[in-house]
Amino acid sequence: MTGPGPFPDVARVDARDKVRGMTPYGADNHPPNLAHAMLVTAQIGKGRLVKVDTDAARAVAGVQLVLTHQDTEGLKADGYLFANGRSFQSVQPMIGTAIAYRGQPIALVVADSLEAAIEGAEQVSAEYVTAPFSVTLDSEGTEILAQADLPLPKPAFADKNVGDADAALAAAPVTVDAVYDSAPQHQNPIELIATVASWDGDELTVYESTQHVEGIRQGLAFELGISPDKVRVISPFCGGSFGQKNAMHAQTVLVALAARTLGRPVKLVVPRSQLFHNTSFRPPTRHRVRLGADRAGKIVAAVHEIDQQTSRHDLFPSMATDTSARLHGIPNFRSRERLRRTDVQTPGFMRAPWEHAAAFAFESAIDELAYALDRDPVELRLANELPYDVVTGKPFSSRHLSECLRRGAELFGWARRRMAPRSMRETDGTLVGWGVATGAYPSVISPSIAQLRVTDDGGIVLNVGVQEMGQGARNAVAAAVADVLKVRADQVTTLLGDTKGPPPHLTAGSWGTATAVPAARQAAIDMREALRKLQPEASNGATPAGILRHAKRPFLEVEARHQAPGAPDAVFDRMKQGLLAYVGPEFPEFVSFSFIAHFVEVHVEPATCRVRVPRVVTVADCGRVVSPRTAASQLRGGVVWGIGGALREASEVDPRYGGFLNADLAEYLVPVNADIGDIQVDFVDKPDPMLNNAGVKGLGEVANVGPAAAVANAVYHATGRRVRHLPIRIEDLL
Amino acid sequence: MNRNELQEVVTPAQSILVSTRPGEQSAGAPGSSGLSIDIVVNRQRRQLDVDPRASLLDLVRDHLHLMGTKKGCDHGQCGACTVHLDGRRVVSCLMLALQADGREVTTIEGLAGPNGSLHVMQQAFIDHDALQCGYCTPGQIMSAVACVREGHANSVAGIREYMSGNLCRCGAYVGIVAAIQDAAPRMQGAEP
Ligand code: FES
Ligand code: FES
Repeated sequence: MTGPGPFPDVARVDARDKVRGMTPYGADNHPPNLAHAMLVTAQIGKGRLVKVDTDAARAVAGVQLVLTHQDTEGLKADGYLFANGRSFQSVQPMIGTAIAYRGQPIALVVADSLEAAIEGAEQVSAEYVTAPFSVTLDSEGTEILAQADLPLPKPAFADKNVGDADAALAAAPVTVDAVYDSAPQHQNPIELIATVASWDGDELTVYESTQHVEGIRQGLAFELGISPDKVRVISPFCGGSFGQKNAMHAQTVLVALAARTLGRPVKLVVPRSQLFHNTSFRPPTRHRVRLGADRAGKIVAAVHEIDQQTSRHDLFPSMATDTSARLHGIPNFRSRERLRRTDVQTPGFMRAPWEHAAAFAFESAIDELAYALDRDPVELRLANELPYDVVTGKPFSSRHLSECLRRGAELFGWARRRMAPRSMRETDGTLVGWGVATGAYPSVISPSIAQLRVTDDGGIVLNVGVQEMGQGARNAVAAAVADVLKVRADQVTTLLGDTKGPPPHLTAGSWGTATAVPAARQAAIDMREALRKLQPEASNGATPAGILRHAKRPFLEVEARHQAPGAPDAVFDRMKQGLLAYVGPEFPEFVSFSFIAHFVEVHVEPATCRVRVPRVVTVADCGRVVSPRTAASQLRGGVVWGIGGALREASEVDPRYGGFLNADLAEYLVPVNADIGDIQVDFVDKPDPMLNNAGVKGLGEVANVGPAAAVANAVYHATGRRVRHLPIRIEDLL
Repeated sequence: MNRNELQEVVTPAQSILVSTRPGEQSAGAPGSSGLSIDIVVNRQRRQLDVDPRASLLDLVRDHLHLMGTKKGCDHGQCGACTVHLDGRRVVSCLMLALQADGREVTTIEGLAGPNGSLHVMQQAFIDHDALQCGYCTPGQIMSAVACVREGHANSVAGIREYMSGNLCRCGAYVGIVAAIQDAAPRMQGAEP
């Protein structure tokens, strides 16, 4: 940005409310005369409903309504978000009798109290005709599709073929050829998905924590067959999301329908066990990575082939090699991505959706290559940097991966590492392992509209299209305005997440900052100019309110728009329809990625093989850091995710039954406080000169690209065991 | 703490008797079970009719409209619903509302001073950015205060162990540990 130094370290602007429990999340809304709902879900792996028996449920005292597929006439499915819809999958449960996967909702029970709704839901029974199903990558009946042959837009979803990777590989004197697997995972934000719907005449208000209020508004209006003007969706905060709340779920329209039928507001808080089946999840993947290098350590070729799960009804594409092709400067690169259709809800986005597993595979393979070459893995990576993108031949908008590696190595004390596995120990015999891995994540930008209003009583109110889900969006946009108007960030009020404001695009994919900050900054610049016109002679210290008072104007309002370089204006129309309208990471003049390097120390107890992670050092290149405090927290959080992904998290599947077995937080293991040691984070903090006027790139996702690989590489260094699947558990090391 | 002691805790100035009977919509009319409890919530004494199936968590949220206490699992697995019961931390989703009869409940809304001043733990959470989305935060703070009072906050290892019942999916653990380390010594002086 304009100022030369780093941005000030400002406390989280919404922290005071959060520590007092005053922050309103979706389920915290409690309109008068509220009824409570509970879902009933299918108990078969696939098939068809024959009968839903609701008599016993209706007889429960307090139960007011039971909705089944027989009550949804006229309801339309909105459609899958990658197919011009706004829903996480194309299947809208309770329209028709087909059961596509275990756990699909079949009824909604509404009662005066939550207790009665729960009891009523337990009384609903159903008869089904069952059909054979497949739920794992390798199940019989799984359909394998080559992504390049599918009706997905090209070149975005084409295989990559740069140079002649196969020939270069065949000629390379040193090679690695390995297969890596990653388990399915669920996002599991601590906030449960919830909908509160109330009608006032023909106007519907929905409170629901989401990454995309406009998507829900448009999708809901379509499903109900009403005008979007009649729908308002409010979500000022999200209790964590991590991709889970980036599209519309099944329950929203059902709750709206129930509220309309009953003529009173209805709230549904979906139990976690049901969320494992009624939201997206990270699909399992299999990666074959082949690398070829010359003896001097120049990597000459890479082939990255991926199989990824999708559902029977939707194509959740794989975009993993967009990033693996950019991790290092490898001149010959070929990729092949395949999808495997199975009988599950459509998998989808979870923090670093493809890149988490892809970086685990690719950066593990780089570590294997380092050992094959007997080269230090940091040095090997530094020796394979290229200043341009080999896929497109374009420059990177900025690329400071070498600096991430050098600074991280310095902070970590990497120079003291001994190369040989099992060569470092504590005095008590504990095996010590040091591992490194890098990561990258595409910079994409969505259209954004920012409205800024200043008032003569000192109010500075910013309304901009971005959702706050804990990443610190409010801090970032407030800091951008504060920087220009020379006020404190906490003087800027941020209004986010209400469809009454300017239409917001989906906030996801680490594009929130690069999308909303430039728009907010532009609005502030326009405001500064407007204020200057009001009082050209104003001194440097004059406040916006002072200028307004001087000019006898009660307020001043400006609106600014921002879109990606080269993006057509049509992106705004798509945004207004609640559709995806992002552009990147390839732009007319350049390619843009964020970069990161992780250094991890693991301790492995020799007897039990228990793995601990006492410390991590991570250095990120996300362009300019607008909100240092929240960025540091977000980066640490990403590292925690990496540790969880490496050592804990897996959604367990039994091919005989379908669905997910460990559908709660006691059995789906996420990192707890005692799992986490020291996490030191740092930023290159150099403005990106090309991507946008604020010099910012993304951070939230890249934080979880590579840490799992760094853990796995550290486990290898400690134990000599190369574990090629996630998560790594004790039984892999015994 | 038994009921007699409880009466002493509630000074006359703080004690406001709020009675809710079936048919009175204002407090959400939990049910017409005829089961009544007498509890103190955030220094306010209340008589409530409760549904015997209702958890303390749902009572606090749905009937008392104290929304700071969060539901993250409803199974005692995440800690988001942590409140103090007679000064000890409990996960309110695992307790029936009926079991709170005659006892004193403090939720996050009752932690700040009567004049609205933040508890030192709340301030420490702000200072160390020990939160992101904030959803686990009320539970973390209630747990953290109890952790200090229990004497488990004297070492980093102790804090990590005794705060491991409170999940933070945003991964704010480093900040949470730092906040508790910072607040613990100051709490000793500041708490009654
Ligand atoms: S909601 Fe009570 S422990 Fe999770
Ligand atoms: S701050 Fe989001 S779960 Fe802890």
